[in-house]
Amino acid sequence: MVLLENDSFLTELTRLFQKCRTSGSVVITLKKYDGRTKPVPRKGHTETFEPADNKCLIRASEGKKKISTVVSTKEVIKFQMGGLAF
Amino acid sequence: MPFYQTWEEFARAAEKLYLTDPMKVRVVLKYRHCDGNLCIKVTDNAVCLQYKTDQAQDVKKIEKLHGKLMRLMVSKETHSGSMETD
Repeated sequence: MVLLENDSFLTELTRLFQKCRTSGSVVITLKKYDGRTKPVPRKGHTETFEPADNKCLIRASEGKKKISTVVSTKEVIKFQMGGLAF
Repeated sequence: MPFYQTWEEFARAAEKLYLTDPMKVRVVLKYRHCDGNLCIKVTDNAVCLQYKTDQAQDVKKIEKLHGKLMRLMVSKETHSGSMETD
């Protein structure tokens, strides 16, 4: 899984769509993301992590190639304009 | 899990599912160019809603819902009043 910047993600995504022209499919997953990079601590361990509530994670895959990006509030409009237009 | 027959029903159910637990829900788009169809799935690993289409007019609707859910994910407010207006 390669985590990309928003712009390069869109470029790569276009490439994935080109790749699936003859066979295969592109899968895009959208999920809310709180910025967590470590697992939830077990019981008895204190947690210093503060969830952010303004991010979302987008993953895309075609065959074996997988890419992902994190989009936050201020970038979301730009991101929608630039991509996900089929 | 069943495919929804009408878009309106699907859209309503998908939004409702998202609002019950935003952290758990993921939205998956699957596009197959060679068959020319697009499938959208909204799931929280317990409930799974799906809608499949090969019509160009549905793509616009799917894109709109996808954008709306993305905006909800990055907005600090988990419940938004604008949901019902559309």
